[in-house]
Amino acid sequence: MRRVLNYLIGRLLLTVPMIFILLSLVFVVLRVMPGDPVSAMLGGHAPDSVIEKKKLELGLNKPLGAQYVDYLGQLARGDLGKSMIFEEPVWTSISAKLPATLELTFFGLAVCLGLGVPLGVRAARNRRNGHDFGIRLYANVVYCIPVFWLGLMLQMIFGVFLGVFPIAGRTGSRVISSEFDTTGLYVIDTIIHGDIGALGDVLFHLALPALTLGITLSGVFVRLTRANMLDTLKADYVLASRARGISENKVVYGHALKNALIPIVTMLGLQFSALLAGAILTETTFSWPGMGRLLLERIYLRDYPVIQGVIVVYALLVTLVSLAVDLVYAAIDPRVEL
Amino acid sequence: MKRIFTALMVLALALVVSSCGGKGSSGTIVYGTTDKVSDMDTANAYDFHTWEIFQNINKGLLTYTPGTTEVIPGLAESYTVNDKGDEYTFKLRKGLKFTSGKEFNADAVKWTIDRAIALKGDPSWLITDYVREVQVVDPLTVKFVLKGPTAYFPTMVAGCPPYFPLDPSVYPVDKVVKNPSELKGGALVGLGPYKCTSFKRDEEVVLEANPNFYGDKPKIKKVIIRYFADATTMRLALEKGEIDLAFKSMNPSDINDLSKNDKLNTFKMPGPFIRYLTFNCDVSVFKDKRLRQAVSALLDRKEINEKVFLGQNEPLYSMVPQGMIYAQQNFKDEPGDANVAYAEKLLKAAGYSAKKPLAFDLWYTPSHYGDTEVNMAEVVKAEIEKTPLVKVTIKSAEWATYKDQWRNKQMACFFLGWYPDYIDPDNYTAAFAGTNGAIGNGIYFSSKMWDDLFTKEQTVSDPKVREELFAKVQKMWVDEVPTSPIFQGNLYVFTKKNVQGVNIGPTLIFNYDQLHFEKK
Repeated sequence: MRRVLNYLIGRLLLTVPMIFILLSLVFVVLRVMPGDPVSAMLGGHAPDSVIEKKKLELGLNKPLGAQYVDYLGQLARGDLGKSMIFEEPVWTSISAKLPATLELTFFGLAVCLGLGVPLGVRAARNRRNGHDFGIRLYANVVYCIPVFWLGLMLQMIFGVFLGVFPIAGRTGSRVISSEFDTTGLYVIDTIIHGDIGALGDVLFHLALPALTLGITLSGVFVRLTRANMLDTLKADYVLASRARGISENKVVYGHALKNALIPIVTMLGLQFSALLAGAILTETTFSWPGMGRLLLERIYLRDYPVIQGVIVVYALLVTLVSLAVDLVYAAIDPRVEL
Repeated sequence: MKRIFTALMVLALALVVSSCGGKGSSGTIVYGTTDKVSDMDTANAYDFHTWEIFQNINKGLLTYTPGTTEVIPGLAESYTVNDKGDEYTFKLRKGLKFTSGKEFNADAVKWTIDRAIALKGDPSWLITDYVREVQVVDPLTVKFVLKGPTAYFPTMVAGCPPYFPLDPSVYPVDKVVKNPSELKGGALVGLGPYKCTSFKRDEEVVLEANPNFYGDKPKIKKVIIRYFADATTMRLALEKGEIDLAFKSMNPSDINDLSKNDKLNTFKMPGPFIRYLTFNCDVSVFKDKRLRQAVSALLDRKEINEKVFLGQNEPLYSMVPQGMIYAQQNFKDEPGDANVAYAEKLLKAAGYSAKKPLAFDLWYTPSHYGDTEVNMAEVVKAEIEKTPLVKVTIKSAEWATYKDQWRNKQMACFFLGWYPDYIDPDNYTAAFAGTNGAIGNGIYFSSKMWDDLFTKEQTVSDPKVREELFAKVQKMWVDEVPTSPIFQGNLYVFTKKNVQGVNIGPTLIFNYDQLHFEKK
């Protein structure tokens, strides 16, 4: 336990320099990029005196180094700052959109693993026959497909032609989310409120975006699962299990898959950042009001603090997921030492 | 495994059935748009969509008959003007209350104007350029003392949200409100036919009928505005029936397809918004007006409209759009469209040749005006380069950078658009060729003669005299060419078959309270 705690502390401390470097890069790139947030905010008719006053208020007239030091000081106090455009705390802007992204990412991951792992297992069990070929083809194709294209295709086919699923938003157009919005995670909120109709509506709206995100990432997991299963199915203990008369399903799922899962769990940590990147495009395609859309819109507006804040949150999320993956890895494989 | 699968299928079926009921109401309309809301404060918001919301939750002392340019009493039951034309006295309606419950009176009017002046927001010039002060005569009488006679002042009071009274007990006097949550009570407060009951930026704005509204109550009790990230998704949502109405901004191909869809209504209305080519008349090559004349003469407005917008807009031959009073078409007769010979004559006179062509950057902004901008830039480049005496390089910048660059005089020639602040040809002329207006739009054109003309048309009330003045200004425009008009936009609203009452007139005001469902 002590070792786990030490490991956790060590990993969290390593996050600090990582975020520092990332933020510094983003800070500099944003400020040397052409485009002035004050002009974006105030428009073409604002008098010069008003523009200068606004720049003074926002500290944009200071040298870059001074602005950087001010920002680091603010961060050290746990303050992400205020939006330059809407003047609300950055955390308020982010926390309003973060649950939407978390919900989409969670269900996207569920689809990804729900497709990737079983298909990988099936491909390994049917090595070199039609099933294996078809599944490997699927994995290669979905790996190459741009996520926004798949989103558009799913919208057209299942949303428009077949009319099965809605094509945009988190809720039905006549459902007012503020009536049940508690945590921002609508699946949980509708359960808390006992509103089964709204729960169904929310899940239906999640279907296409989650499928889009999950399918495009599932290809990696199909190939990885297949490769690992092929290795584990050749192991002596598997042969021994079969020899003892244990059913094939138990051998595959009860023994072989458990060992094959270890690298898959590791890959999950690595792919999480790809999941977040994919979420940005998916959110745009499905008008999903998450952090990805927030980031895109604030880049257009040159809202520096919000852009930086979103990057920090993304970095923290990736770090936390990687850390969780390492802990799970150690938990499921006693051979692994933290 | 099979039991788990069966249980999941039963749960899914239950969810499907339960979600099918829906919470729809025949008194609710869902309106989809790709536009965005900016600041929820009339003192600072200066964009089309936010103004549209204000025009439904607030009201001016005067207003328009829906779909027309006829100014009628609003929150004021009448007004008088002094002989000089620089004092407007409004008699307010009795017994009106804000949606907060607070009584509306002359103090609220004065407070609103004084606040807008003090905050110096983007649209504050609409007040500060005209209003010297506001005086409370009595609780129901308020006087606007103007800086000079202004014939079109009623149109500003009727159509410009900075003039719409706010509740002093709710709005902070010293800062711009970005979100309704900053207000006392956490909600926007107004005197219009609707009140805002839910606001989630970039997701939804919900308006419900205001029971305190002085006029006819809206037939549609609830309007839900849904924000889409892109036009294609919005189009699909409309075709699928997820939304009842879609307005701004559709791609030309989507407009074409939706117009042919028998299951939808297409409302096409002439719009007073214009697009034009802007020249930096100060520091660039275009300081020489011959070059402005030449480039302008090379434009083929019909071709731009056909190729880029599939014929959905109207070529524009004056900065004053057709349908506006005193509008003419001076650019049509001379030099007309694609007049290469005329342009080459001017270019040669300025010292350019095929060996030494006029080279300049043509700028556009890729998303602010829609996805067609790059196409328009390419078509215009091809038109201008029909003569070997000109060489054009297309460049682009996102809106924030674009604005920055025009302020810093870094763009010699660029595209802009204009939605009117008030319905008068002054807003299409002085705003670009008056010294102050030209600076704000990156044109930097300045002429005392022009400024004097604008001052005269702003202060004279005789329509005949104003008509002569605007005829002169539009004729002079062809000679000086501070900007070159390209097209005048049409407005397209698409609705489900049973939705009626879409009536957006030349004022561009979309009155939600006119919408209704047609009973079959």
